[in-house]
Amino acid sequence: MQKNKGAEPVKKKITIGIPRAMLYYRYEVLWKNFFSILGADCVISEPTNKEIIKSGTAAAIDEACLCTKIYLGHVKSLIGKCDYILIPRISNFGIKRNMCTKFEALYDIACNTFRKTSQKFLTYNVDVIEDCPEEKAFIEMGIELGFSKKEALNAYKEAKKGETESLKNHLKANESLYKKNGLKILIVAHSYVAMDSYIGKPVTDFLKKLGTVPIMADVVDRKDALKRSAKVSPTLKWELSRELVGSIDEHIDKIDGMVLMSAFPCGPDSMVDEMIIRKFRGKPILNITLDDQDGTAGLETRLESFVDILRFKGGTL
Amino acid sequence: MKEAYLGIDIGSISTKGVIIDEDNNILASSYIWTEGNPLGSAKKLLGILEEQFDKETYQIVATGTTGSARNLVGAMVGATMVKNEITAHAIGTTTLYPDVRTILEIGGQDSKIILVENGVAIDYAMNTLCAAGTGSFLSSQAKRLGVEVEEFGDIALKSTHPTQIAARCTVFAESDLVHKIQMGHPKEDIIAGLCKAVVSNYLNNVGKGKKILSPVVFQGGVSKNIGVTAAFKEALGCDIIVDENGHLMGAFGVAILAGRSSKRKVFDFSVEDMEFKTRDTNCGRCPNNCEIICVYRDGVLIDSWGNRCDRGAIKIGTKLAN
Repeated sequence: MQKNKGAEPVKKKITIGIPRAMLYYRYEVLWKNFFSILGADCVISEPTNKEIIKSGTAAAIDEACLCTKIYLGHVKSLIGKCDYILIPRISNFGIKRNMCTKFEALYDIACNTFRKTSQKFLTYNVDVIEDCPEEKAFIEMGIELGFSKKEALNAYKEAKKGETESLKNHLKANESLYKKNGLKILIVAHSYVAMDSYIGKPVTDFLKKLGTVPIMADVVDRKDALKRSAKVSPTLKWELSRELVGSIDEHIDKIDGMVLMSAFPCGPDSMVDEMIIRKFRGKPILNITLDDQDGTAGLETRLESFVDILRFKGGTL
Repeated sequence: MKEAYLGIDIGSISTKGVIIDEDNNILASSYIWTEGNPLGSAKKLLGILEEQFDKETYQIVATGTTGSARNLVGAMVGATMVKNEITAHAIGTTTLYPDVRTILEIGGQDSKIILVENGVAIDYAMNTLCAAGTGSFLSSQAKRLGVEVEEFGDIALKSTHPTQIAARCTVFAESDLVHKIQMGHPKEDIIAGLCKAVVSNYLNNVGKGKKILSPVVFQGGVSKNIGVTAAFKEALGCDIIVDENGHLMGAFGVAILAGRSSKRKVFDFSVEDMEFKTRDTNCGRCPNNCEIICVYRDGVLIDSWGNRCDRGAIKIGTKLAN
């Protein structure tokens, strides 16, 4: 891993740029809390739009997945607007609890891609297998920003409390959706796909427009989901995929159908989605691969007909 | 005057239309090529239907459109029902074959499978956004081989030894095909191999993990290809029903749906004489810069779409500026 270029202690109020992409949707609260407790400001990049995708695609190598391209677009849009841009490196949370390689590489990719700018990047390194849990990673990051170990630890603990609370509320709200009337469609997708305003959100918006209740599978009791996922597949090793699989296992009886949504060409999803289709029978599944093509016609046809089939099944078409 | 319903299915390759009466009997039907001009072909289609249609006895009270140009042509004809082609096909087929269990469909760009139980669709799958193994793939390979795609089936049946062709991806299939041609494989074996490849590609992609039960109905433009039908029969080991009106099923289905709906609007054939124009404009009100398609009838905007949000909404009735 590259060492951060600009790591001298700072006295004035610092501004941290946060790309609104990838793990932002998972760690928004933790990050914002941590930095605000330390007295730093946060700037979040704009919701994804066509310009961001374009500039990210230009910055990325061809083979990168759509989400990586989008991410680099967000990073680029923050350059010059903040003291640091936060790009964590998250490798794993333990054995068989890996993150996609992308999350190990993003910091280095971004530093390399934008090396000709004077932008400084900030990272923290979570790698439990190498004895580097989140708490330790956050303390190191705080120290790098010029705070004491104690200040950083307190800020982390406080921020974590806020995160736990927010997750609990989010989970409660999400669970209540399963009790709602109407066709319930489980959206099996990473939050950075499903929540992205350009690629995933139009899908859930369209499903709502069709009068259905889309429910995010990734909002789930994570511990419980991990346990369940091990029963479905003992060898599955990606943390985020395991949460999704566990969530399906928990909710399958409460839903009418599933939409598997993946961004092209996502490595883990290409295997996990196939597995889901084979292991969970009995509920209609729509498998969607999103790319940056503009035409939504093919997509809308698929969603519309999928909902029709679900209604058909209920005899209400 | 008896009620009649019009259904139009405007696909990427062909345009189909039917007029049915209240008992789902076909009063008029036609099947023509879209030739990259959905509005023109829809007009032409209406002309053909008008000739077959008995205006003295029947009146068209509801109109449905389906297929990939359903919005465009729907705006043109003032459709009372605009429905996606999958639903339309399912409705059409289950009406004609109430005991069907599996509907296989391969069209110009799409392929899908619909599983039916007690006349109700219970599960389905569709190709991802890739045209491998669909009608357009067969047409482009026919062009390469210098034969008409309509002759494909007959040529394929002549083969006793179909060539193995990898059809997982159109691009790879094409290079594999060229290689096999250059190796000296006879044309009929290659064509039979292509038909088999379409089937195995279909069963391994769209049909993967699905239990295919008989009776099986095969439809969509590719069902007209007896080579592919024979390959399905061999692969599935059961009889395959290909309805003589299978290619009209989408239009038939959407006509039924238009009839079932409570919306009524008398259709008259005068749209044939009106001038329709489309124009695309870029919104430019935010970085998304959506492409908006505007449809004008005799110079007046009747519909528009393509905008991701309300900022790009254009007022109906706006005059076309020249």
